Amino acid sequence: MKKAVSVFLTVILALSQLFALTGCEKNPEEKTKFNNYYFDYFDTATTVSGYASSQEEFDAVCEDVKALLSEYHRLFDIYNRYKDVNNLAIINDLDNGKHTKVTVDKKIIDMLTFAKEMYEKTNGNVNVAMGSVLSIWHNYRNDGLDNPAEAELPPMELLKEAAKHTDINDLIIDSENNTVFLADPKMTLDVGAVAKGYAVEQVAKALEEKGVTGYLLNVGGNVKTIGLANGEKWKAGIENPDRDDKDKPFIEYVKVAGESIVTSGSYQRFYIVNGENYHHIIDPVTLMPGTKYRSVSVITNDSGMGDALSTALFLMSYEDGQKLVESTENVEAMWVMNDGEQLYSAGFEAYTFEYVPQK
Amino acid sequence: MKNNNSQKNRKIRNDIILAVAIIFIAAAGLLLFVLNREEGSMVSVKIDGKQTASYPLAENTEVPIITGENNEHINILTIKDGKASISEADCPDKICVETRPVSFVGETVVCLPHKLVIEITNENADGGLDAAV
Repeated sequence: MKKAVSVFLTVILALSQLFALTGCEKNPEEKTKFNNYYFDYFDTATTVSGYASSQEEFDAVCEDVKALLSEYHRLFDIYNRYKDVNNLAIINDLDNGKHTKVTVDKKIIDMLTFAKEMYEKTNGNVNVAMGSVLSIWHNYRNDGLDNPAEAELPPMELLKEAAKHTDINDLIIDSENNTVFLADPKMTLDVGAVAKGYAVEQVAKALEEKGVTGYLLNVGGNVKTIGLANGEKWKAGIENPDRDDKDKPFIEYVKVAGESIVTSGSYQRFYIVNGENYHHIIDPVTLMPGTKYRSVSVITNDSGMGDALSTALFLMSYEDGQKLVESTENVEAMWVMNDGEQLYSAGFEAYTFEYVPQK
Repeated sequence: MKNNNSQKNRKIRNDIILAVAIIFIAAAGLLLFVLNREEGSMVSVKIDGKQTASYPLAENTEVPIITGENNEHINILTIKDGKASISEADCPDKICVETRPVSFVGETVVCLPHKLVIEITNENADGGLDAAV
């Protein structure tokens, strides 16, 4: 009898151990997922997700991310000036009606050089020299959002006049002396299509150099992953561009490890004039928002490239876009047409997976 | 001999009491575990990165969320029919109000001007998605 009781107790003890393991108790070797949010960079929300052994370990990485994002944000800000920072707002200076040669941080030289490469690569669809045109849209959009009843479209004559001052060759970069000069006095820079992704890529590189892995940076939908998510790939949902379809938040799911995913969509930043949606991705030819797709998502190794290419593909015909994707290494894309049809580049579906969102 | 026997019996009785007690504790633990597990998704409210409140997604409710250094801003969190949304806000862009209601683990509604994030969480799910793009 005594023996029976002790056997029984042993079984109970073993069972409770089993529960402890499958339940709340964490293996000390196991890493926990942490999230942190920032709101002060690139006019969007930033999420840092990472697997770390402790809150302290995660916080230390976040401090690095914050410091770097803050630095890039100030350097690439085209509207605001900061004390002791020669940034794009200073290069853009129109207050005196005359541009001057500005000595800048190497980070600005590198980003603008990359932006010029993207201009060539995308056949001019990504043009950081389009500030004069984009600032008109920016102002009309902000006014329209502030006062929706009186929202207006910018007059075409105004846009056409501004478009005369968008020649990328007037962006003079001297990488030996670290200076930037805008040769056209009415030209300004708008780096909205490249700077955010470029900055995210540089932050990721800095973390990788420090040996950090198991992190995901999401700066307003510009996602870059560093390594694996605790031994598995990261899972991302691609947003449904149809905002009225309330029961289907995502139209596709992708798994990545080290890659970047970026989506450009007509639903992201827009205002409404006479019931029509006018978004922020402006076609350099028509000077109006692109109308070919609802959204285009790009998977690449380089987040800066992903940012630029998603914008470019959104504006290019499907045929030209396919050619661009096929001729570029490690780039895959998904186009969402205006009727909701989803078209994929040859290698995109290798990243997709079946997923049922969990309630 | 008789005395010895009754001692033995008492010992066995004590063992049984102990066993029953352990079974009872284990059962209570199991019950707690199961109850917790069935709690389902929560709507977590984070202001400037710090969690300030959490509400069950299964219960319809409407709560004001006060933000800003001097508590000068407000967003209304509405949980209805298993979906969470910001139904009203005094932020300038109203992007949070226009964001589609969220219900799946990992989904968020963000109010950038108020540094507010509403996130669907569920400790018993496998973590959901890591990002939305």
